[in-house]
Amino acid sequence: MTETLLETEAVLRGASRPALTFALQGEIFAIDADTVREILDMPAITRVPNAPAFANGLINVRGRVVPLADLRVTFAMDRPEPDADTRIIVIETLLDGEENILGIVADKVLDVCDLEDVAIEDAPQVGMRWHPEFLLGIGRYAGDFVILPNIGQIFADHLNSLNRETN
Amino acid sequence: MSKTILTIDDSPSVRQLVALTLSTAGYSVIEAGDGAEGYEKATTNRVNAVITDLNMPVMNGLDFIRKYRAHPSSAGIPIIFLTTESDDALKTEARAAGATGWLVKPFKQDQMLAIMRKVVGA
Amino acid sequence: MSRPDPAETFRQEARDLLEALEQALLDLSEDHGDRELVDTAFRALHTLKGSGSMSGFDEVAAFVHDFETAFDRVRKGLAPISDALVRIALNAKDHVQLLIAEPGVHAAAGMPILAALHALVAENGVAAPPPGDAAMARPAKTVAEDGSASGWRVRFRLPGDAMAMGTNPLLLLEELRDLGPCEIVADDEAVPPLDDFDPLVIYLGWDVTLRADVPREAIEDVFLFLRDAMELSIDPLADERAEAGSDGADEPADVPVERAAPIKAAAASASKSGGASLRVAAERLDELMDCVGELVIAQARLSQIAGHSQDVGLSSVAEDIERLAATLRDTTMSVRMVPIGSLFGRFRRLVHDLADDLGKEVQFVTMGEETELDKTMVERLADPLVHIIRNAIDHGMEKPDKRLADGKSTCGTVRLTAVHSGAEVAISVSDDGAGLNAQRIRAKAEEAGLITPEARLSDHELFQYIFHPGFSTAQEITSISGRGVGMDVVKRAIEGLRGTIELTSKAGEGTKATLRLPLTLAIVEGMLVRVGDGRYAIPLSAVEECLELPASEVAGTSGRNFLDVRGTLVPYLRLREMFGTDAPPDLHQKVVIVGSGDLRVGLVVDQIIGNAQTVIKSLSRLHAGIGTFSGATILGDGEVALILDVAQLVSSAEQQQRRVSGRNLGIAA
Repeated sequence: MTETLLETEAVLRGASRPALTFALQGEIFAIDADTVREILDMPAITRVPNAPAFANGLINVRGRVVPLADLRVTFAMDRPEPDADTRIIVIETLLDGEENILGIVADKVLDVCDLEDVAIEDAPQVGMRWHPEFLLGIGRYAGDFVILPNIGQIFADHLNSLNRETN
Repeated sequence: MSKTILTIDDSPSVRQLVALTLSTAGYSVIEAGDGAEGYEKATTNRVNAVITDLNMPVMNGLDFIRKYRAHPSSAGIPIIFLTTESDDALKTEARAAGATGWLVKPFKQDQMLAIMRKVVGA
Repeated sequence: MSRPDPAETFRQEARDLLEALEQALLDLSEDHGDRELVDTAFRALHTLKGSGSMSGFDEVAAFVHDFETAFDRVRKGLAPISDALVRIALNAKDHVQLLIAEPGVHAAAGMPILAALHALVAENGVAAPPPGDAAMARPAKTVAEDGSASGWRVRFRLPGDAMAMGTNPLLLLEELRDLGPCEIVADDEAVPPLDDFDPLVIYLGWDVTLRADVPREAIEDVFLFLRDAMELSIDPLADERAEAGSDGADEPADVPVERAAPIKAAAASASKSGGASLRVAAERLDELMDCVGELVIAQARLSQIAGHSQDVGLSSVAEDIERLAATLRDTTMSVRMVPIGSLFGRFRRLVHDLADDLGKEVQFVTMGEETELDKTMVERLADPLVHIIRNAIDHGMEKPDKRLADGKSTCGTVRLTAVHSGAEVAISVSDDGAGLNAQRIRAKAEEAGLITPEARLSDHELFQYIFHPGFSTAQEITSISGRGVGMDVVKRAIEGLRGTIELTSKAGEGTKATLRLPLTLAIVEGMLVRVGDGRYAIPLSAVEECLELPASEVAGTSGRNFLDVRGTLVPYLRLREMFGTDAPPDLHQKVVIVGSGDLRVGLVVDQIIGNAQTVIKSLSRLHAGIGTFSGATILGDGEVALILDVAQLVSSAEQQQRRVSGRNLGIAA
């Protein structure tokens, strides 16, 4: 997990690699565009009973069963029903060293921009609504704040909480 | 009418090589997996020669040769035994039992065909 | 049919021979005096040497030759069978396997094995030098030392019985003629009067003048089989005949020295492909299985579309394809099934070596070798089973003196059994050793903070802590079990195969690990049900029957969830409740009775939709821990449905039953 974290961080802090920006409940998020496989219109979602709200859905992505994660749960946001703008961002990431394909719900997908254009500031430790470890940093893009979620850390934390429950 | 050779060997791969070599050269081949089966096939088929391994389960090659030679149909039928040793004592023993000749493993296909020419003709 | 490949035939044969050798050696370690076993082992070696050299496996033949030479001393009674000898012979056997698997890589590693082997069988403990270069001896064929001559005079007389013994003198003469022009004169001096004449005896001698410039050996070779029993003289002709002899010299009848091409080519192609052919075939089967999986999903989709269409032609094609896909699926799966016995054989050796190393006496008993499982499953079971068996012998089994003191026989027993049970295979490893120490496990679990000192747990519950990461109760860490790899790894591996593992144990009497595994990993026929607005698949092989939920049960009376199924009380689970479904229940709910092992449980659902092919997709790490589901599948309409984990549901129903009945039923069957 740490590897992914460091990698992503290096990438985000380093020189130009494109980032995908998307909106969740009025906030703008950015993730490394290289990890994005595709963006889907809202498909049929199969609910997984008794799974935590963060990841309680499954979708069919070209014959693969892919779990769906909702960052709005992580960042304690409202979760309205999907509308015409709702999209699924399919990303590839490492979970416990294993390659995984995951879907992330986005209220709206905005843009692909160069991360250089985003001024990255360290997440302010004080006054944040959110768990600082879930953030790689805060950036600015076109006058708005952009949140850089630490995808690796978010999933690691989720897996840990699952393990705690099982044990 | 092609000549019929009986090959007796407990090793399928050796049997297969022998059969392949002989049938390619135009002989008919009958196979047996041990001495007892070999005796049964040698005495119930018209064979022109026998190629047998010595070390086999159920009935070994020497016992086969002795038993077969005691059967009248074996008169004049060449028996070639296969051996991995160039052990003279073994050759003497096999010859005393009634073997005609031997072939040392590993042999090449041409060697085997040469031996067959020698004992049964082309 | 393609032409048989001698190298592959040899590899197959070698597998069988090495297996026979290993079994004989292991049997010998139990009974040092069985001559028949010695003969069996020797014969396996002998055949291996012969066919190895014939099939172009020269390294193998050379090594086995030395192996056999050493073993021959045992066969002749010159060296005794000992445990040490069996051990080294087993090493030697392993080495042969390596030589076959990867030619040209391991040759050097064989030297110390052979040296040890020869040291053991040597007289007075002095090692006889391993018999030299093990290149197979061939009939001597040196270059003629006395050069050539313009021709030869060959005089010979065959042994009297030569003809009866299969020698045809005419063929010998023909062979001489093949060497060059011959003048042949028969010597009939010894022919008896007719009354004494035996048609099978050769009375004639021959005097042959061969006018050809051939080496002496070529002539000697003609009489190869008879040379030491016959009269033979070969003398060079005088020089003045030299010009006459040159004609026939172009066609020497000597045996060509080149290795026969087809054999060599076969051997080369075999070593190129490496590994055992079965493995290659299995990979192709995996590809095939993947394709069949995709086909089945596509076919389900087609059937669904056809079902909504008025087009008769489309429906009929869809039906054909459905039938073909089902046949293809069944055939593919059946081809992949292999008896688990192929795996069991390997463990015999493991048990032997372990018992040896640990100074324990262990008897290994196997049952159900013929039980069939998917090939991949068998392969992936190997490591977990090795680990469980190791644990049984290392931790479970006591030393002989301890066993004796406890009133047991000095020799312990490890039992490995496999049996089909519904859609599952149950594999168990049991020992009659000391059993698990519940107190020690408890102490460990408390120490690790897994349970509080106050927690009240049955022994059975305590035992399951062995599967926690990093949990090891062996008091002394041995080289066998070591640290690091624990039963948690075993559990993960088994769960990765959609299986379960359970430990039962009784102090002083032994421990039993039971694995339950599905027959196959890829596709199952499923029953599709609806619970609320979710659809779920239940492996059809686990379904025993479907019933209407009796009106008396619909209300959901508290606690006692039992159905009377023809006189048997079957516990049931309300999936609507388990899954937290909001949608209103159907008026007529159904109960699907499923079985796992000896237990049955009813699952209450809203609707039974029908049967469907389910190509099993495993759940990601995010959902693997949920437990109720063994995987997911994609339905004909493209949506995902979860597959219910019947074994898990049954065990949770069982727990519920235990709670309700208020007594500890102990370990259920």
